[in-house]
Amino acid sequence: MNRLCDSMEPRVMDDDMLKLAVGEQGPQEEAGQLAKQEGILFKDVLSLQLDFQNILRIDNLWQFENLRKLQLDNNIIEKIEGLENLTHLVWLDLSFNNIETIEGLDTLVNLEDLSLFNNRISKIDSLDALVKLQVLSLGNNQIDNMMNIIYLRRFKCLRTLSLSGNPISEAEDYKMFICAYLPDLVYLDFRRIDDHTKELAEAKHQYSIDELKHQENLMQVRLEDEQARQEELEKHKTAFVEHLNGSFLFDSMYAEDSEGNKLSYLPGVSELLEAYKDKFVIICVNIFEYGLKQQEKRKIELDTFSECVHEAIQENQEQGKRKIAQFEEKHLSSLSAIREESELPNVEKKILECSADISELFNELMMLEMQLVEQLEETINMFERNIVDMVGLFIENVQSLMAQCRDLENHHHEKLLEISLSTLEKIVMGDLDEDLPDDLRALFVNKDTIVNAVGASHDIHLLKIDNREGELVTRINSWCTRLVDKIHKDEIMRNRKRVKEINQYIDHMQSELDNLEYGDILD
Amino acid sequence: MEVLREKVEEEEEAEREEAAERAEWARTEKMMRPVEVRKEETTLTQEMLRDLEKKLSEIQIPISAELPAFTEDTIDISKLPVSYKTNTPKEEHLLQVADNFSRQYSHLCPDRVPLFLHPLNECEVPKFVSTTLRPTLMPYPELYNWDSCAQFVSDFLTMVPLPDPLKPTIKREEKVLPKKYTIRPPRDLCSRFEQEQEVKKQQEIRAQEKQQLREEEERLMEAEKAKPDALHGLRVHSWVLVLSGKREVPENFFIDAFTGHSYSTQDERFLGIESLWNHKNYWINMQDCWNCCKDLIFDLGDPVRWEYMLLGTDKSQLSLTEEDDSGINDEDDVENLGKEDEDKSFDMPHSWVEQIEISPEAFETRCPNGKKVIQYKRAKLEKWAPYLNSNGLVSRLTTYEDLECTNILEIKEWYQNREDMLELKHINKTTDLKTDYFKPGHPQALRVHSYKSMQPEMDRVIEFYETARVDGLIKREETARTMTEYYRGRPDFLSYRHANFGPRVKKLTLSSAESNPRPIVKITERFFRNPAKPAEEDVAERVFLLAEERIQLRYHCRDDHITASKREFLRRTEVDSKGNKIIMTPDMCISFEVEPMEHTKKLLYQYEAMMHLKREEKLSRHQVWESELEVLEILKLREEEEAVHTLTISIYDTKRNEKSKEYREAMERVMHEEHLRQVETQLDYLAPFLAQLPPGEKLTRWQAVRLKDECLSDFKQRLINKANLIQARFEKETQELQKKQQWYQENQVTLTPEDEDLYLSYCSQAMFRIRILEQRLNRHKELAPLKYLALEEKLYKDPRLGELQKIFA
Repeated sequence: MNRLCDSMEPRVMDDDMLKLAVGEQGPQEEAGQLAKQEGILFKDVLSLQLDFQNILRIDNLWQFENLRKLQLDNNIIEKIEGLENLTHLVWLDLSFNNIETIEGLDTLVNLEDLSLFNNRISKIDSLDALVKLQVLSLGNNQIDNMMNIIYLRRFKCLRTLSLSGNPISEAEDYKMFICAYLPDLVYLDFRRIDDHTKELAEAKHQYSIDELKHQENLMQVRLEDEQARQEELEKHKTAFVEHLNGSFLFDSMYAEDSEGNKLSYLPGVSELLEAYKDKFVIICVNIFEYGLKQQEKRKIELDTFSECVHEAIQENQEQGKRKIAQFEEKHLSSLSAIREESELPNVEKKILECSADISELFNELMMLEMQLVEQLEETINMFERNIVDMVGLFIENVQSLMAQCRDLENHHHEKLLEISLSTLEKIVMGDLDEDLPDDLRALFVNKDTIVNAVGASHDIHLLKIDNREGELVTRINSWCTRLVDKIHKDEIMRNRKRVKEINQYIDHMQSELDNLEYGDILD
Repeated sequence: MEVLREKVEEEEEAEREEAAERAEWARTEKMMRPVEVRKEETTLTQEMLRDLEKKLSEIQIPISAELPAFTEDTIDISKLPVSYKTNTPKEEHLLQVADNFSRQYSHLCPDRVPLFLHPLNECEVPKFVSTTLRPTLMPYPELYNWDSCAQFVSDFLTMVPLPDPLKPTIKREEKVLPKKYTIRPPRDLCSRFEQEQEVKKQQEIRAQEKQQLREEEERLMEAEKAKPDALHGLRVHSWVLVLSGKREVPENFFIDAFTGHSYSTQDERFLGIESLWNHKNYWINMQDCWNCCKDLIFDLGDPVRWEYMLLGTDKSQLSLTEEDDSGINDEDDVENLGKEDEDKSFDMPHSWVEQIEISPEAFETRCPNGKKVIQYKRAKLEKWAPYLNSNGLVSRLTTYEDLECTNILEIKEWYQNREDMLELKHINKTTDLKTDYFKPGHPQALRVHSYKSMQPEMDRVIEFYETARVDGLIKREETARTMTEYYRGRPDFLSYRHANFGPRVKKLTLSSAESNPRPIVKITERFFRNPAKPAEEDVAERVFLLAEERIQLRYHCRDDHITASKREFLRRTEVDSKGNKIIMTPDMCISFEVEPMEHTKKLLYQYEAMMHLKREEKLSRHQVWESELEVLEILKLREEEEAVHTLTISIYDTKRNEKSKEYREAMERVMHEEHLRQVETQLDYLAPFLAQLPPGEKLTRWQAVRLKDECLSDFKQRLINKANLIQARFEKETQELQKKQQWYQENQVTLTPEDEDLYLSYCSQAMFRIRILEQRLNRHKELAPLKYLALEEKLYKDPRLGELQKIFA
């Protein structure tokens, strides 16, 4: 098929072209007149048709933020690009172009219908982001590998697929293969797949599909496991006690401590180390459990607080709504009374009354709001005190537990030093009957060296413990401040919004009344 | 007499049921005097006996005299069995025993009411009460337990009040109305202060009066509740006593036969018991009834407490320990029974009444003639058997304002098996409001329909089963000028639609047949919150002011806001100074937005919204119009249903279901015919000829041949005879016709037109007969040889004539 446009100059997607298209495809007749009068903003356009325009490069579409449907068929586009901003796109037609690879669709998560009919695509790829895809048209392309079908298994919503006119559609097994591997598919190449074909296909490819399914299931399970682990860790992190339910801290203490590792080969040290580790881990686990418990408490506290605040706000809103409803009822009747009134003095009197009503409503609403603000402030302060107390208590307790850790470390250090010194003595005396690794033996040169080595190890350990403790304390403190800040800020925002709302409403009412006044005077 | 008889029979009926429960018929006297005389325990000397006999013979027994004579007697005595009309010697003996017992009793207890021992039955024959009871088990499971059985009996009994023995016929006194307009005393001319004081006083007095009035009313109410009964404690009547023990009856209780209700033996309304009887014995209560029946001990085996009439037939337990007698079981009774002196015992004769039969129809009908009226205080309850009334009415409760039951307050009518599923009709006479309640399944999904008149455009409320309706309509209220509809569960979230109508415009040009709907002035529609839409785009209420050409919209309120957006459109189309139509101007849409948006300010948006609303307005108007039509349709349907009131009949109801009945009868007929045909085919041609031969022997060949020949010749003769017979009839008819024709020709001139008509009709009939005979003859001629051959074939194949075959074989 030799297209007419081949002989024509490629066109650029510029503003004029887009405006023309939008104007032509926009509202017609009466609405069209209005549209012309006002002009149409690109971001209000929902559907755009740009077919047979001889377009070579997709461009200038970034303003069409709310576009739902885009037709770019029958152009000479070679590369899918410039569609990143069209995130609301549901319908995309790129058929009859010169596209060779699928790309640039990663932001179009809402896409349901994609047509790439009659292009030069050889591989189905890069469609992962299109989770809502229902219709995929890839006919008249150069797809030649059956394995491309398996890629389509990830689209759970896919119901319609067309692949005719590709090299794979020549294959004998083409239809059966697709039916078997895409069992949720309803239409293939514009034809409904009947149940009989489905059954046949399933029977034919059962083994390979079962295997595939098994693998997919395994993958799924692994993914879920990973997710569960992540969630668990996340939970621990919110409690600020992650990696404390085991020997992580202890292990990390020795990870960078070369001297300590060397010293562990000393006779009697390994037993000592074992006992030390056990005790250390027990304390760590204590901290961990305590942290989770405290986290639970904090959560309950926060929930109760937000529930109460929510209730109070709801109650206040209800009151406000009632007030407004009452006012509106009265206001409507008085407005109609004003309209019917013919005597000017009376009209003025009534209008005055009306505006008095409006200002009274304003006062009432503002009073309600001020009341609420005061009440909430009190509650928020109380909550703040409580949560700060809780955090303080938590930190105190954690610190005392950490102090136990440090004591253990000190104790261990003393023991280790003792052993080291006795070993040194033995070495000096020359009656050491055990073999020591060479690098360890190198430490036992004199007393200063060995004491320094043991001391260095001890320092590292203490530093680790201090670091962990410091991290915990800083994090929880910052969480606490952030939470309190947020609550305060939210409350301020809420208050401002409400005041703005009330003012707006009152202004509207007042201006309505003023308009009426002018209208009356004009009459 | 009828009432009594029925009562007795039904008592029997109940008794049959409760026989196992050892029910006893209790005859009681209210306010029983303390029993002074105890049974004499000492043995009597001969002299004393004679003396006693003399005394006893002097005593009059007033038993039958006290029975009120029932004038109406609809029972055909002649059809009753002999046992109803005569007494067997044993029964006579029993009656004597009873007389003797009665005489002794009235001698010993002269103060007590005479015993009810042997009333006259419907054939005026005295029968002992116990023999009127005959335990029978009925095939209806409802009658197996006492409560439903008692209910059935109470339904069947009709209460006829006895004439008042104190004032037999007294005209009712006319009531004098209390004076309504009493004159107030004239007021003195006093000082203001005094007047004020007076007013105060009067107020106090008025309050007092009010108080008094209230008290008076209360007293009146009290009086209504219980009029002093002149015969309190003097009346004696019967009820059923069920004794504990068998069939898991935990304690003794009474059943009132008229209401079917059960009462505890402790109930204060039962003042005492005179006597008890069942189908085996008769007991007199010797216990003191000063505390009603509360202290009575129902241990019938205790001769001190219960004086029995017959010895030995008594099966009741004699409690071994007087305090705790309820726990004794049957085995003890049997043992006790065995120890009793056999000589003294006299068995109760067998009951003389026939077994009661209740047909299923009668059982379903329950009440006599299927109708029962129960009069309550200020209310009347009427009951009918199902299907008795053609409109399915089964019960009606009428409540009255006054005690005399003249001013009806309200009527409730319950229906059953109605095709239109009408269940209850409630008519309030004071407000004239009628309310119909329907069961699910009405073609228009009606649930409740309350109205004052069946005319359209009047006050009415129709409620629907909304799940049965596509549009989710729950309720439609109508007044003369408005119509309000309530919806639930609609995909467009509509919850409420209210239409105001204006006065109908008279159209002169249109023909009267065309409908002239009232102009709609205003339509208000309210919607539930649609969670899929943001609140500022979700319309909460829209008002189409059709007369003013305005549309008002109110949107839903956002969760954290207290004000809602509003928008008002003027849909008046105007023309500008140049004569062009103005499409849309900013002042055609007045809007208040909680959070002003950019795109809503555009004229295009407003124009589109208005176009949309215009379309919606049309739709809503159409909806209102359709609703009006639907109301008309419903009213029409209801009227038709009321007029036809067809009843549904279950397919399992073999008696009433005409279709199935026809089908069954047709099936039976077919079966019957089939049977006849089979009998015919089995007709034995040889039987008369075989009978001539000695039975049991095998036929010789000669005999067989002869038999066959005889049979065949006989058949031939029969065929010929038949042919002759037909021929003869044919000839006779022809002759007669000829004669008649001759006669006609002779007298043709003198004949009256009637005679001529007669002759002509005769001719046509005769011709018809002749033609038929001719046809029959021809048919016979055709069939006779075939029949003959068929018989020959049959005989040839007959196994009994096996000898014949041998020849041919």
